[in-house]
Amino acid sequence: MDLLEFARGPALQVAIYIFIAGSLWRVLGVLWLQKKPDHSAARHSGGIGGALKVIWSRGFTAPAFKSRTMYPKTLGYALHIGLFITVFFFIPHIVFFKGLFGLNWPGLPNNVIYFVGVVTVAIGIAVLIRRMTHPVMKLISNFDDYFSWFVTLLPLATGLIMPIRFGIRYETLLAVHILSVALLLIWLPFGKLAHTYFVFISRGTTGSILVRRGAKT
Amino acid sequence: MTDHKDDTGHHAYAEVELDIESERLSIKKPDVRFDRQGDLSDEERVTKAMAHFAKDFGTTAAAYLDACVHCGMCAEACHYYVATGDPQYTPIWKLEPFKQAYKREAGPLAPLYRLLGLKKKVTIEQLEEWQHLLYDSCTVCGRCSLICPMGIDIAALVGMARHGMFKAGLIPHELHAVATKAEEDGSPLGVTPQLFQDRLEWMEDEHEVDMNIDKEQADVLAVISSIEIQKYPDSMGATAKVLNAMGENWTFRTDGFEATNFGLLSGNADWQKDISMRVIDAAIKVGAKTVLLPECGHAYMALRWMGGNMYGKPLPFKVLHISEYLADALNSGKLKVKKVEKSVTFHDPCQVSRRGGATQAPRDVLKHLCSDYREMPGGGDYNWCCGGGGGVVTIHRADELRYKVFKLKMEQVEATEADTLLSSCANCRQNFDDCQSHYDWKYTADSLLELVAENLEEANA
Amino acid sequence: MKDIPTLGDILQARGVSRRGFLKYCSATASLLALPPAMVPQIANALEQARRPSVIWLSFQECTGCTESLTRSSSPTLEGLIFDTISLDYHHTLQAAAGEAAEAARHAAMEENNGNYLVLVDGSIPLGNPGFSTIAGMSNYDMLMETVEGAAAVVAIGSCAAFGGIPGANPNPTGAVSVRDLVKDKPVINVPGCPPIPMVITGVLAQYLTFGQLPELDRHGRPMAFFGQTIHDRCYRRPFYEQGKFAETFDDEGARLGWCLFKLGCKGPITYNACATMKWNSGTSFPIEAGHPCLGCSEPGFWDKGGFYNAVSTGEIGSGTALAGAAAAGVAIGAAAAAMSRARQKKTIKEG
Repeated sequence: MDLLEFARGPALQVAIYIFIAGSLWRVLGVLWLQKKPDHSAARHSGGIGGALKVIWSRGFTAPAFKSRTMYPKTLGYALHIGLFITVFFFIPHIVFFKGLFGLNWPGLPNNVIYFVGVVTVAIGIAVLIRRMTHPVMKLISNFDDYFSWFVTLLPLATGLIMPIRFGIRYETLLAVHILSVALLLIWLPFGKLAHTYFVFISRGTTGSILVRRGAKT
Repeated sequence: MTDHKDDTGHHAYAEVELDIESERLSIKKPDVRFDRQGDLSDEERVTKAMAHFAKDFGTTAAAYLDACVHCGMCAEACHYYVATGDPQYTPIWKLEPFKQAYKREAGPLAPLYRLLGLKKKVTIEQLEEWQHLLYDSCTVCGRCSLICPMGIDIAALVGMARHGMFKAGLIPHELHAVATKAEEDGSPLGVTPQLFQDRLEWMEDEHEVDMNIDKEQADVLAVISSIEIQKYPDSMGATAKVLNAMGENWTFRTDGFEATNFGLLSGNADWQKDISMRVIDAAIKVGAKTVLLPECGHAYMALRWMGGNMYGKPLPFKVLHISEYLADALNSGKLKVKKVEKSVTFHDPCQVSRRGGATQAPRDVLKHLCSDYREMPGGGDYNWCCGGGGGVVTIHRADELRYKVFKLKMEQVEATEADTLLSSCANCRQNFDDCQSHYDWKYTADSLLELVAENLEEANA
Repeated sequence: MKDIPTLGDILQARGVSRRGFLKYCSATASLLALPPAMVPQIANALEQARRPSVIWLSFQECTGCTESLTRSSSPTLEGLIFDTISLDYHHTLQAAAGEAAEAARHAAMEENNGNYLVLVDGSIPLGNPGFSTIAGMSNYDMLMETVEGAAAVVAIGSCAAFGGIPGANPNPTGAVSVRDLVKDKPVINVPGCPPIPMVITGVLAQYLTFGQLPELDRHGRPMAFFGQTIHDRCYRRPFYEQGKFAETFDDEGARLGWCLFKLGCKGPITYNACATMKWNSGTSFPIEAGHPCLGCSEPGFWDKGGFYNAVSTGEIGSGTALAGAAAAGVAIGAAAAAMSRARQKKTIKEG
């Protein structure tokens, strides 16, 4: 079995199993802890409505906070959007997802993806620099932050090398790229990348409480 | 360090000899300043802290603690970080030992962390170092909770972390003293039922208003904060005036008058319950349909939003902040006020508006009361905390810091160029008064309730 | 054996007179500074010179590689057989059969010991020697016997080079490649299913001209023909880059000749000369004809995830396995939560 067969076969399979098992472990391990009832008289009914409201609205910074958070917020959005475009609109990726889920959707020309990818890498570097130099970020950052950054940027970087080659064979580059995705899948449930799930759970929890109180969301 | 005990055997406070006057240029890292209560060993303190952190590690706290992505935005919302530029005041950093304990003991990956030694046990040094961060530099104002893109209620987590700190005997000594008084004597400032009654009767004379004290039955139970009783007694007169004008069947009760809850502020969950229950029991005793909270911030949070959970089931009465009561009264036309001429701006108490959801109420009142009301830039739900809440105003070593962060508030108020600043929290007023004298400032915060009471008009039937 | 034309026979057949031939030999003697008396010896040696002997062994094969070879046009098969090599043994092309054929093979081996070329097509079954035999001899025995005196071995076609179709999952005959068995002789792989005709003849011509192995890649394939991927030389590559793909075999994109990546083309990971040399003397190749490349010159091409599954698809395992992973996650999550609650209770008690 060569590296590519390994990457596309057992490596990816095991990564997906760990991803599924790990995600359920992480999320249910939180949701199934004790839940305390709230006996206060609700001003409005919170519940799912409140949860959804804050899940949506917390993506946007309130005007009062905008000026102080414009830069990190922009970086964060750009990084997520860049990753989203390169992952979901590059046609070989769409074919990959089609193989997994049977869903198909139109993609973007490769050159557009390459451009977005390069910009996203630049954003990623800016994000890392901020984390390493800003006094608040330096203080609060730990291994999880840096490793998660690495594991997220690695597929992007290995993917971008593929059209350039640097004299390395295509199959090798593809194998390394797929292995980097496997690494991402394995790490995601266990580090801060699990914010994929917690963004909904945490914002939702706060949303239902705040709406219940009639407080600003 | 000497430990004082008065003759009832109560621990008053620990005397700490600290040199804060002399030059510190030669000291690279100043000693961590922390107070200790009791004579537990370090190990026992850590055990207590862990036990009382653990009580809060339910789904809600877990969802929050697992959601943090270390984005650092919470720092930008916190007046302590913004005013000083010191990254240690990053709100989520204040929770580091609490978060560490959660991840090691209760999170979904906890067994993995313990097995592989990836998270250390919280140490006594950490808890001691964090006292300053959890108490001196947090007013639980909730701005950080609003900015967090992950929707983490950081302020609520600080409240939870304080539970562990209290039981470990690692809270600022003034706060401990005041909380002990509140639990044991019924008032943080030592106001006895008799003293309360005396001052009510004094106000009765001063304001020529009928006071109802210890009625057997009433629809409205009015409560008051010790700060108002001792420093702003006119509030009591104003309350009586308003309730009489409304024709309410109301009363004060000397067996359940204290609106403040220093159990909540200091982090003693048991005392929080005891203190709330005094009011709840009194309200039930008189068959009250409504408990009317005074101009106090955290009193609203304590009873309106946390009272039912202290009681164990929904409260059998409504809870209203005085500004909500006034808003309903003025909106319905049952109460009428003259408009005041001078220009007015309003400082929202964090626990009432931002945390409590009653932001509109004072504005409804101001609509009726003011001919020239000016909103502060960035006011309302996002306004800067005055810096005195959460028990901070009691902590004297934190005064320098409190004055520093107050500058943000000063800027916000001055931008309105209003004649008068109003608020509806006695603790905010206390802080504004103290800062006014410190800075020789043009403004202080006057009471919304008192201004309404001064300008009452005869309402048409 | 005496029917095999010598150089003298060839020259005569081509109309070169005896006189002309001797003139050539005199010139050669002068060039070599040999005395005129050597001319008869030179003439004799040249007259007797023989073309290299080639023994072609066919094992578990479909004869497609031979069919491909017969389509060669440069050199033509005839030119190859009659002018360049001496094809001493080939099941399909030889006239002899049975005992006579085997005798021909042995004679060629003896007469050219150490100098002959062995060409192999088809895989060799190790599961049971009876799966494929020739004249009662197993493929394995025949291969090992024949290569003993060979100068080099060329494995023609993916079956001989990598095990090919017989070797595809579950490989019921235990098929293996030539390289798996022959370790002490140089082996050139010329894979493809079949290989391009002119690649076969070209490799042979290259070997015979220079008498040494060409530069080979890590799979033993000549770099001259297998050094680049189909993808890198495909005329439809611009469509790949522009994001224009055929989604089905007869849709708009297919008719416009767009890239076949989505239909499973293995071009990006297949090394061969199809995109440049093409087939049928440069007429076309599968992609040009509208079908995605199967990757037939790569090891295990039959088991590379399916001809119509794109290169970028992965294998995620069975539904049962996924359900198992989900169940494991739920179980561990529940256990973690339960453990946490129990630990909380204990911690609270201690405190």
